[in-house]
Amino acid sequence: MHKALLLIVIPLLSYGFWLSAEFKGIAAGVSIFLFGMLSLEQGFKAFTGGVLERILQKTTDTSWKSFGFGFLSATLMQSSGLVSVITVSFLSAGLLDLVAGIGIIFGSNLGTTTGAWLIAGLGLKVNIATYAMPLLVFGVLCVFQSGKQLKGVGYILTGLGFLLLGIHYMKESFEHVESTINLSEFAMPGVKGLLTYTAVGIIATIIMQSSHATMLLTITAVSVHQITYNNALALVIGANIGTTVTAIIAAFGANIQGKRLAGAHLLINLCTGIFVLLLIKQFGIAVDIISASLGIAASDNAMKLATFHSLFNLAGIMIFFPFINQQVALLEKLFIEKRPVIFQPKYLDISAMDFPETVVESVRLESIHLYENAIHIILRTFGLRKHDLQKNDDALKQLIGQDNNSVEYNIDAGYEKRIKGLYSAIIAFISQAGFTWAMSQSSKLSWLREANKHLVEAIKDTKHLQKNWIRFRASRNQAATDEYNKIAYQIVLHIRQIEDFRHDIEDNELPLLSLDALKASIRNDDMQMNRAIETLIRERKITPETGSSLINDSSYMRSIKKNLLKAAETLFLHSDTGAAKAEQQLTLNETEINDVVHTVDTQ
Amino acid sequence: MKIEKLLHKLQAFFDTDKHKKRQHIEELKKILLKLKKKERKIIRSMQQTDEDCLRKHYQTELEIIRVQRKKGIETLQQLKERKKNLGAPS
Repeated sequence: MHKALLLIVIPLLSYGFWLSAEFKGIAAGVSIFLFGMLSLEQGFKAFTGGVLERILQKTTDTSWKSFGFGFLSATLMQSSGLVSVITVSFLSAGLLDLVAGIGIIFGSNLGTTTGAWLIAGLGLKVNIATYAMPLLVFGVLCVFQSGKQLKGVGYILTGLGFLLLGIHYMKESFEHVESTINLSEFAMPGVKGLLTYTAVGIIATIIMQSSHATMLLTITAVSVHQITYNNALALVIGANIGTTVTAIIAAFGANIQGKRLAGAHLLINLCTGIFVLLLIKQFGIAVDIISASLGIAASDNAMKLATFHSLFNLAGIMIFFPFINQQVALLEKLFIEKRPVIFQPKYLDISAMDFPETVVESVRLESIHLYENAIHIILRTFGLRKHDLQKNDDALKQLIGQDNNSVEYNIDAGYEKRIKGLYSAIIAFISQAGFTWAMSQSSKLSWLREANKHLVEAIKDTKHLQKNWIRFRASRNQAATDEYNKIAYQIVLHIRQIEDFRHDIEDNELPLLSLDALKASIRNDDMQMNRAIETLIRERKITPETGSSLINDSSYMRSIKKNLLKAAETLFLHSDTGAAKAEQQLTLNETEINDVVHTVDTQ
Repeated sequence: MKIEKLLHKLQAFFDTDKHKKRQHIEELKKILLKLKKKERKIIRSMQQTDEDCLRKHYQTELEIIRVQRKKGIETLQQLKERKKNLGAPS
């Protein structure tokens, strides 16, 4: 939810809680229900790629199988709402596709009508809420186990428990509303009565969170002649539409597929309802004929209602079931998935494929684009932006040390948005081009591929480093905080030096020779850092555990710097000019760089 | 006529080689000059900071430049000597 919206919703809810205890109960019920959804989804995710997925795949691989699955589940659970909620969470966890989901909804619509037969025939009403407590107890017990599958089962049971508990709270809070529902108040003849009672049926089911409860109310009312038989039919139609609200509430916590399924449930039940309302007389006659053939007495309105419930759901299935694919297409149009903004390649053009030099230059420019994004992610991890690099050293240090900088930047999301798409596009482009060409271009492309790999490695290292950076930034041990700030500062300084190196290239200020200084300073910083950590441990300013974390993280720092430098070397340097060849003669080898570091260290 | 043309071509070939060597020496001289300027700039920056971490950076950079210059001067001397030896009568 948007932060500003949250600021409005919280005071509004608080005011509502203060005004009405019932409202508090309903809101708590909805919250517990949604929490149950999240838990259920997490539980099902533990089984993705496993047994449950295989079972679901086998039992729902055709529309008829999905239908059978839905019918059986709703018959056993005696709640089409619960079946649709579980199906929504299956879809959200990626265990089912929308076609199978809709098949299950059709099945559960028919399965739930067995409830009406039980109520009418035996006066039974299965109260699923009684299962909530044991489910929660067993669920939590399993959640505390170490095995992944057992944990998954735990989350599923806890989720179901919370779902039922949420429904229970909603029902409890509406109890006095329910007691005020006097169906005879709405007694009306003709079309007006039909529409009014359908609306009453919808509202009563939404309030009581159970179409079975509405059925019970209807059957009782019709048996004591509180309402007419025709009005009772309208109530049943309303209950069938109202029952979809459970899935709609569940869809708030679900992804787009879950929302589509909830939409499908509403669409199917609403259309069936409208269809049956239009042909209510014909349905009445059909119910009379079927009831007579089943040996149901003409005066037994309760049993006739159960027959009607099954008949109109069956009619809905017969009309809409053959058009599942069309429904999926419609829902995909109605519920459009919002994709996060992902950076697209700017320079990779397939038409350049025939010109080797152009391809190399395109890949180089796109890799620089990736480099800029990688730098953005690393700087944002430490609470900075690229323009901050222009600030002087003190200001930079101050920025890194600021408390609000410890707000965690989501590196994974940053990677998905800024790196993954570009990196994949570059790799795909190189693989398409590489093998057909002359050696020199192929090797240039292979260097560029390596440069991209270094950038991705640098981001991975930053992610590893981020965990302790966040942790120790809030630490009460000032020495540890200072060392972590130093790590961040040195990385940022290195990025700034690479930027200077880019300017050196533009101004032709011996870029190749500047690289040696950068290489040496990586080694020097690492040595200094390790020495400082050893001193801090010796002087007992930090614990050995903190020291070991610092040593690990200073290795990540070194790796980030090295990777960035290697990438920069490939991306920014052009070493074919005469001046570059002369510079090449003066560059230092590893031993010479090590000697320099050693000399500076002993000074 | 044919021998004359061949001699011309030979002369041009040796001139290109000579020209390239001369150009290379010039490039090296330019680099050494730039390195000297860079060295002075870093010394100035080092004098302006009290920051230990930065001073260490500057010191490292200075030392790197010193070694690079030393390498450059040696290479330049070798090239000049080679040029002198090639030019001297046997």
